[in-house]
Amino acid sequence: MKPLDQLVQQEGAIQDRSIYWDNDVYQAEMEHIFARCWLFLTHDSIIPEKGDYQVTTMGEDNVIVARQADGSLKAFLNSCTHRGNFVCFSEAGNTRSFVCPYHGWSFGIDGSLQDVPLEKQAYHQEIDKTALGLRQIRVASYKGLIFGTFDESAPPLEKYLGGMAWYLDSFLDVPGGIELIGPPMKSTLECNWKNPSENFIGDGYHVGWAHASALEIAGGSLASMKGLNEYDKNSGLQISLPEGHGFGAIWECVAALHPGPPGVAYQQWVDQRSPAVKEIVGEQREKFYRAHWNATIFPNCSFLYGTNTFKVWQPRGPHSIEVTTWTMVEKEMPKELKDMIHADNMLTFGTAGILESDDGENFENCTNSNRGHSTRQGTVYLGMGQGHERQEAGLPGIVSDGWVNETSTRGMYRRWAEMMSGKSWDNLSTTADLENNQ
Amino acid sequence: MNSEEHSALSGQPVDQATHFEIERFLVREARALDEERYHDWLDNMVAKDVIYQLPTQEVRYRRDRKTIGNAQTTYLYNDNYDVLAMRVARFDTGFLWAEDPPMRIRRYITNIDAQWADEEGEVDVWSNFIVYRSRAQRDNVSTHGRRRDRLRKTDGQWQLASRVITLEQRVIMDKNVHCFF
Repeated sequence: MKPLDQLVQQEGAIQDRSIYWDNDVYQAEMEHIFARCWLFLTHDSIIPEKGDYQVTTMGEDNVIVARQADGSLKAFLNSCTHRGNFVCFSEAGNTRSFVCPYHGWSFGIDGSLQDVPLEKQAYHQEIDKTALGLRQIRVASYKGLIFGTFDESAPPLEKYLGGMAWYLDSFLDVPGGIELIGPPMKSTLECNWKNPSENFIGDGYHVGWAHASALEIAGGSLASMKGLNEYDKNSGLQISLPEGHGFGAIWECVAALHPGPPGVAYQQWVDQRSPAVKEIVGEQREKFYRAHWNATIFPNCSFLYGTNTFKVWQPRGPHSIEVTTWTMVEKEMPKELKDMIHADNMLTFGTAGILESDDGENFENCTNSNRGHSTRQGTVYLGMGQGHERQEAGLPGIVSDGWVNETSTRGMYRRWAEMMSGKSWDNLSTTADLENNQ
Repeated sequence: MNSEEHSALSGQPVDQATHFEIERFLVREARALDEERYHDWLDNMVAKDVIYQLPTQEVRYRRDRKTIGNAQTTYLYNDNYDVLAMRVARFDTGFLWAEDPPMRIRRYITNIDAQWADEEGEVDVWSNFIVYRSRAQRDNVSTHGRRRDRLRKTDGQWQLASRVITLEQRVIMDKNVHCFF
């Protein structure tokens, strides 16, 4: 691995191409990023009842998240402490125990070891079951969004989200909050996990070009972007948080990628809700509530607020990911509207989606060009809008005009380099420090 | 055939001549799609009230099938005629970079089993498929699955009235399934 100041240069504007290809970089990411960050697991709405569980991965580690009798959550490794086999092969369900199919060790929904066959006869009643529970993972929820971390020294989830939490509240604080609808779609892309993360955090640029065919047939208020002929930089902005999260917002475009009747119904819902939302989150964030967002919560959880797609890019080696896609809706929406939005999400950003299929090709090819040794010696460029960022009172983080920008993408790579340096949490940048230094 | 005679047939295997027609229809449909004749397919082989679905299948234990939380069926395709037409229109825009150079697709339709449906002039048809897609130089993927179709004979021509596609993969081992099965 090259020195970090070569891998990411010029405040995030230059990336060494090896970071999308080399296995040693990937293994370092697993250690310094995926074993340390808060990673998205699931949503409260998916596992509401005692014994409900979902199996997912954190990096490449297989984990179980389960609802406890007292309503709290626990997460633990899906790997038997006897010989390492998985203890759960279902992706979700409701259960009282997880039984390993190898020797029958049985674990409770809290991950504790309950029963060991032949405990008396073969173990002479001497086995310490309390020391052999499934490895526990720190778990926390932010307004229904459930995250886990392997790092005991990681800051609390809200602090990890930093300034992003304030923006997320624009739609998380609506009456009733939000929910995710599953079961999720799952597919694979032969790309590095950072390619889709950077696309969602701040690539407004590609929308008018890569998605030209979809914009042409779907119409809507973004259709004028087709072919990148027209664009008003005052139509939105980008935000980058020092914690690595970020997003682009397009004003008054919440339903822009829902063509036809679902878009009309969704816009009506938002118009109707806006006064109540304004009461709760204030005028500034009502504007975000009515905007379309493309966002990433560092490192690999991305969503499009407005288009209602919510995704996790699960790394599966340096050149491969698994894509998990849910639909994000407001809990209090009528079922009819939720169903329309769910269907639209599948039509646009589902596995057979008319926009998703454009992106997949680009992500894969941006990774795979770096197979070439000589190609890989070079760098790629994210300089759009650099030098035009600012801090603005009342808006956490770094602000830049225009949703076609690369401000939030550079921020993601600055955080990536910071985390890869192995610095302790106390020495990593925060929104609070940025504000104090202003 | 009166309605009584028809209901006695419902669920019975179709006769040899009908089976032959059905099989020919499915093969012709596959060739139209292989040859990117999407308008031919929509105009001549698909009923205007078609329902075209591809639901995802969760991997669950046999003993625990109950839906948890707010889960519902997630469809990769849940299209009516207009949505299918929109997907086809996208091919016509000239901006579909992923299909240029063109993708090469071959559909293999097999295990065809047809029986009379509960509606007169309609049949339920089960078939298995392999769809092979090749893109660019070395990007090759085969997708396997099953279809349950409802075909309807209108003016002497069979048309697709509904299709429910099942893919056996839970995690789709491809970048998308943006092709007709």
